Amino acid sequence: MRSPLAEIRHLRRALAPTLLLFLAAGCTPSDVGEREAVPGRDDAQKSVPVVRAARRAYDGAPPTIPHQAFGADCPTCHTRVGVAVEGVGFAPPSPHDDTLGLEGTRRCRQCHVPVTTNEVFVESTFVGRPQTLDGGARMHRFAPPVMPHSAFMRENCLACHDGPAAREGIRTSHPERAACRQCHVERVATTLWPPAG
Amino acid sequence: MKRDDWRRREVLRLFAASGAIAALSPRDQEAAAALSGQSANAADDSLTWKKAPCRYCGSGCGVEVGVGDGRVQAVRGDAKSPVNKGLLCVKGYHLPGLLYGADRLTKPMRRGANGELAPIDWDEALDLVAEKYASSLERHGPDSVGMYGSGQWTVHDGYAALKWVKAGMKSNNLEANARVCMASAVMGFMTQFQSDEPMGCYDDFEAGDDFILWGNNMAEMHPVLFSRILEHKRTDPNVRIVDVATRRTPTSQYADLYIEFRPGTDLALANGVLNLLLRNDKIDHAFVKENVVFKRGIENLEEIGYGCYGENAERYGFKDETRESSFDDFRALVAEYTPARVSEISGVPAAQVEALAEIYGARDRGTVSLWCMGVNQHVRGTWMNNLLNDIHLLTGKISRPGANPLSLTGQPSACGTVREVGTLANRLPSDMLVTKPEHREKAEKIWKLAPGTLPAKPGYHTLDLFRALVRGDVKTLWIQTTNPWVSLPNLSRDVLPEDPERFIVVSDIYPTPTTAQADLVLPSAAWVEREGVFGNTERRTQHWEKMVEPPGDAREDAWQIVEVAKRMGMGDLFPWPGDDWHEPMYEEYRSFTLGTGKDLASYAQLKETRGLRWPVIDGKETLYRYAAGYDPYVTKREGVQFYKAKGYGERAAVWRRPYQPPAESPDDEYPLWLTTGRVLEHWHTGSMTRRTTQLHQAVPAAYVELNPTDARSLGVQDGETVRVTSRRGTVELPAVTQGRAQPPRGTVFVPFFDESRLANLLTLDAMDNISKEPDYKKCAVRVERA
Repeated sequence: MRSPLAEIRHLRRALAPTLLLFLAAGCTPSDVGEREAVPGRDDAQKSVPVVRAARRAYDGAPPTIPHQAFGADCPTCHTRVGVAVEGVGFAPPSPHDDTLGLEGTRRCRQCHVPVTTNEVFVESTFVGRPQTLDGGARMHRFAPPVMPHSAFMRENCLACHDGPAAREGIRTSHPERAACRQCHVERVATTLWPPAG
Repeated sequence: MKRDDWRRREVLRLFAASGAIAALSPRDQEAAAALSGQSANAADDSLTWKKAPCRYCGSGCGVEVGVGDGRVQAVRGDAKSPVNKGLLCVKGYHLPGLLYGADRLTKPMRRGANGELAPIDWDEALDLVAEKYASSLERHGPDSVGMYGSGQWTVHDGYAALKWVKAGMKSNNLEANARVCMASAVMGFMTQFQSDEPMGCYDDFEAGDDFILWGNNMAEMHPVLFSRILEHKRTDPNVRIVDVATRRTPTSQYADLYIEFRPGTDLALANGVLNLLLRNDKIDHAFVKENVVFKRGIENLEEIGYGCYGENAERYGFKDETRESSFDDFRALVAEYTPARVSEISGVPAAQVEALAEIYGARDRGTVSLWCMGVNQHVRGTWMNNLLNDIHLLTGKISRPGANPLSLTGQPSACGTVREVGTLANRLPSDMLVTKPEHREKAEKIWKLAPGTLPAKPGYHTLDLFRALVRGDVKTLWIQTTNPWVSLPNLSRDVLPEDPERFIVVSDIYPTPTTAQADLVLPSAAWVEREGVFGNTERRTQHWEKMVEPPGDAREDAWQIVEVAKRMGMGDLFPWPGDDWHEPMYEEYRSFTLGTGKDLASYAQLKETRGLRWPVIDGKETLYRYAAGYDPYVTKREGVQFYKAKGYGERAAVWRRPYQPPAESPDDEYPLWLTTGRVLEHWHTGSMTRRTTQLHQAVPAAYVELNPTDARSLGVQDGETVRVTSRRGTVELPAVTQGRAQPPRGTVFVPFFDESRLANLLTLDAMDNISKEPDYKKCAVRVERA
């Protein structure tokens, strides 16, 4: 049996022709499988939907940990703004803020687990809710968009909407205005059970 | 999944990532889009969301289940659930995985003469079960039939089983896996308060000041509840956590004080704390005078023994007695446990014994004791429960906000189903016992049975039930929602000899080592594939509705039982027509609870709420049992009233219980302690969590955790395969010396979730003398390089 890392290397060799496609598309293989490498701030990779999806069972599930353990507590690198670690790469910030998160309980591993093997015990037929790439709705052309997702456990807006890893299309043009929720309101889901109120 | 399939998926993912989807065939394009989550119909609102309790542990977290196209596609923490307030653990977030393993059982299957399982239809299967039970009853009587269920049964499943086995077949051979999990906590509460289940609740996590965890890795086993304590500690720096344990775990990292004791010596430590509380006069004398009586039981080690193993294997008949005692008698025993002597027995420094007693003795601080399997799976588990409750009773730290003993449960309805419905060999609903004529009479009345119908003789408890099966005394056994051929201790005792008359039925959702033993396998509906009710640790009863269809012909366990009962001519027990029997069945069960202090909420109310904590009176739940101002059954204007303990004059009993050593301890031949348990990512025997990709890939196999110094002296490297051997069996496991937890020198730990590396081939089937719960936490092993 190959180690997971060897497996990935083997996969890359098998996929050599595809690598050209990656380069053409501006991606590097580290986006999709290489678990020991984290891109540095200088060449920090923007979040890519397909990679984001690959690390989650469904949209809304906590992502798995895409790198090996570095022997440090998670918040050492995954701070409020993210940290570029010499020789390692850019650690994106955590979106959790007010709740059970960074400065508080540091129980990251309660929800985020590493991938130590690519084997499965039994194949799963589960198909998770896909992520939506739609932006938030606007009342009119000049209105600030409403938040298209719940803010629960995503209180640190800039974690995803600013910084080197933020995806084009959801990157804010005005990160200096720190009070995001002054203008962008949370859309209250209408399908909550029972109806709110 | 085969390696090639996995590779193909990864290739598709890579193509999707590169934007090169157009280069693929149309079929692969579709697959790649699905894998990459880029399909167009992706809006948040395309799912309908409904509430359910989590399927895993006994915390009872609320989840919202997102259903679209007839399948569960997502879950989220239910922010409206008072239990978890929106947070889940990694198992909770990955709940849908448990429904979608590719090998779900979808058809009834009978084992043929060739030993292979072959599909049959439901009618044939149900007729066969009915015929086998009827024939065993006719030829060998009610002692020859049995049923073994689960703390994962819904209330409906358990109630249907109870009525069918006890009222229909007139047998008390009904047990559930909560016997090997919670029975010691039950007997603790029963012997002291004459009513099962805690007086406190989760509100204590915010109301308490000091949290004492006894043998309890709460950060991994009840992670969301532990987060509540941690969040409280973050906002209030005065909060302290004490971890009293036999190995350093992720829980220990958050503890202000870590106290490490030698396995089994928690009894000495608790007695040491009691001694110091008395000596330093930290006793709440007014409380004790008004609310406490003193009792003692049999204390002679020779007489008590360690249950049905060794020479007592088939004939262990010990029964404890309730004897009068007094404060002085109690004091005389605990006085033997001086800090120096406790230190000698347990290895805990005397200063730590004193520190722990000081924390319990601080009058102005709320103290909450928390425990689970360490205390319960213990050859003196009932005693240990007694001692913890004693500490709270003598300090008056009980039945008030932030000061309570709170035993945690490991299964989603160990409380709601097994303990409350009473699916055990000696019990009936709502704290009633089969041995009491007035209790049988009440059940006969509610069930409209002729007087004298219900049998008075208790059935086999779990370990005895499986021994009777091996002996051939039990001929027909139905196992539902549990996996005993992974979870019972000392598994090599459960090898079944040839017996053409024996018939084993197993209802489950996946093939397991238990279905491998079955003559007939029935496919069950799981979790939100059916309607149900669970009851959690804090007396909260929670309802969910059916949200998706079960796969193939799978049907819920309660339906399976009712259909067999009908075929045995016992249909009168289940008189509700059509498919709409869930509410009337629950309401009939609820009538057992009304007026007893364990009053459940109505079905209609359960549907509307995120569960309610019993007793529910006039639609209002009760936070603190026995407490004036909280519990409507209390007639006193202030203080507490242990109104369920009629036999003690509405007072609680403090029991004196000495230290006695474990059944097996390390020696020259087997020099190491073995303790077993769970890990955060896996639940119980792993039949569900291992089929959840993210959970399996995080922890794919069992391992043995070694202290690095022990590993060095054995010449074992991290990751190397070693052979772990006890007097009962051998298992090969990878060694872990730098894992998430670290045992002290002389102790090793093995998780029990892995069916191909069975920890329970090593464990000892010694058990608690009162609760009949086995001790999975203490036996002797040796470790060698493989």
